[in-house]
Amino acid sequence: MLYEFRYLAPRTAGELVRILDERKNDGKILAGGTDLIPNIRNGLMKPRFVIDVKKTPEASTLAYSDADGLVIGTAITINDILRSATAQDKYPVLCVCAHELASHQIRNRATVTGNVVNASPCSDMAPALLCLDAKALLRSKDGQRSMPFKEFFTDVKKTVLKPGEYLERIEVPAESRGARGSYLKLKRIAGHDLGIVGVLMVRRGDDIRFAVSSAAPTPVLVDTVTSKDGPEEAVRKVLGAVSPISDVRGTKEYREHMIGVYVRRLLSEVK
Amino acid sequence: MKIKLTVNGLSYERECAEHRTLLRFIREDLGLTGTKEGCGMGECGACTVILNGRAVNSCMVLAVEADGAVIHTIEGEANGPALSDIQQAFENNHAVQCGFCTPGMVMSVKELLAQNPKPDATQIKEAVEGNFCRCTGYTQIVEAVMDLTGRPEEKGELKHV
Ligand SMILES: Cc1cc2nc3c(=O)[nH]c(=O)nc-3n(C[C@H](O)[C@H](O)[C@H](O)COP(=O)(O)OP(=O)(O)OC[C@H]3O[C@@H](n4cnc5c(N)ncnc54)[C@H](O)[C@@H]3O)c2cc1C
Ligand code: FES
Ligand code: FES
Repeated sequence: MLYEFRYLAPRTAGELVRILDERKNDGKILAGGTDLIPNIRNGLMKPRFVIDVKKTPEASTLAYSDADGLVIGTAITINDILRSATAQDKYPVLCVCAHELASHQIRNRATVTGNVVNASPCSDMAPALLCLDAKALLRSKDGQRSMPFKEFFTDVKKTVLKPGEYLERIEVPAESRGARGSYLKLKRIAGHDLGIVGVLMVRRGDDIRFAVSSAAPTPVLVDTVTSKDGPEEAVRKVLGAVSPISDVRGTKEYREHMIGVYVRRLLSEVK
Repeated sequence: MKIKLTVNGLSYERECAEHRTLLRFIREDLGLTGTKEGCGMGECGACTVILNGRAVNSCMVLAVEADGAVIHTIEGEANGPALSDIQQAFENNHAVQCGFCTPGMVMSVKELLAQNPKPDATQIKEAVEGNFCRCTGYTQIVEAVMDLTGRPEEKGELKHV
């Protein structure tokens, strides 16, 4: 059961930042609710005000332009990405990661912005956004700032967002168009599950990138592997960038072993 | 807060507490108890309803978020004693045992078939991946959908898993 809280649904970005400023201490943003509602139910979060970020006109933006690349607003769900012809065609890497996230019903509600702000080490969208050089546009009453995702995650479930600030939109640059990749996510079951470990490899011409989920306090980008490296060198570099722990889903050793398996497999798969 | 929504073709206007989930609203305020609560946090899919054309876990949606929405629940399926096509296919294939997962399962299948009239086994499994059934196993459920939509020829009998 949920306890009593107030629900606010501002209709403009101006109203939203004003409310966020007023509710710095007792407000929480609601996007798809697939993290927030279970957290409230479990008593992990106790906001007095729940602030819906899906109702402003900009929230539903999912649009491509050569200047801004792909712009993703706060109401855009994981399935909106999967159903978007533009995403499928220009940014297939977003779709390979989106497809691995949770179940169909959750993908119908869960937003891309909520996924990254939640900043779980096992976030499935973070690897794609890291490899595609995406940027986070943050807004508060005091103005806007922009930040590459490489600098966005600071610790387990922590980001650079300050109280009163929100992630207004994500921009995936036009330069990342056409990058190809594949995401291998190890789970306990074939159905929906959080990852034990996940490895994304993206190739754009000669440029190779890896991103790893569930293997460090934050999702990790590895941009030090080059096309001249052999598989063992690539594995060494990727393992050098992560610091997996042992927990209920798997041991450190198992995670490290599977990262190696996945890096080798991806190098031969993603041509 | 006063909210207005359409459920199974009927419009409702109700005063609703802002912290109430859509699931509780449907079950307790509208009295439509066909939709079930299993886990209450997104794992099991028993609470699946169709919200503006999309299958969602109603335990993680606030009723006030759904103000103005069009919703379908299991109660909208049968017409009096006449089962809907999906329900009939479930019955014919013994895809129901205790029935607890069935309302959610049927809603997930309903969205799938609206998007994709002839899904293959992989697509059906993906559509009901978020619906747990602890009784019949999933094979009969996949068979029920294929029975309804026509099995792709080359697939033949489904392997029992
Ligand atoms: C059963 C289950 C399975 C799951 N499986 C996966 C999985 O496989 N992979 C995965 O990555 N995740 C998974 N998740 C987690 C969750 O579904 C995702 O992280 C989802 O993308 C969160 O998005 P949301 O829109 O629902 O966020 P919400 O719950 O609405 O918000 C998440 C957090 O971010 C804040 N927030 C949201 N939007 C903004 C914004 N624009 N600006 C500032 N703050 C904001 C909220 O205050 C909240 O703290 C799962 C969850 C459940 C319940
Ligand atoms: S009750 Fe909603 S997913 Fe289990
Ligand atoms: S029929 Fe009993 S849980 Fe599915």
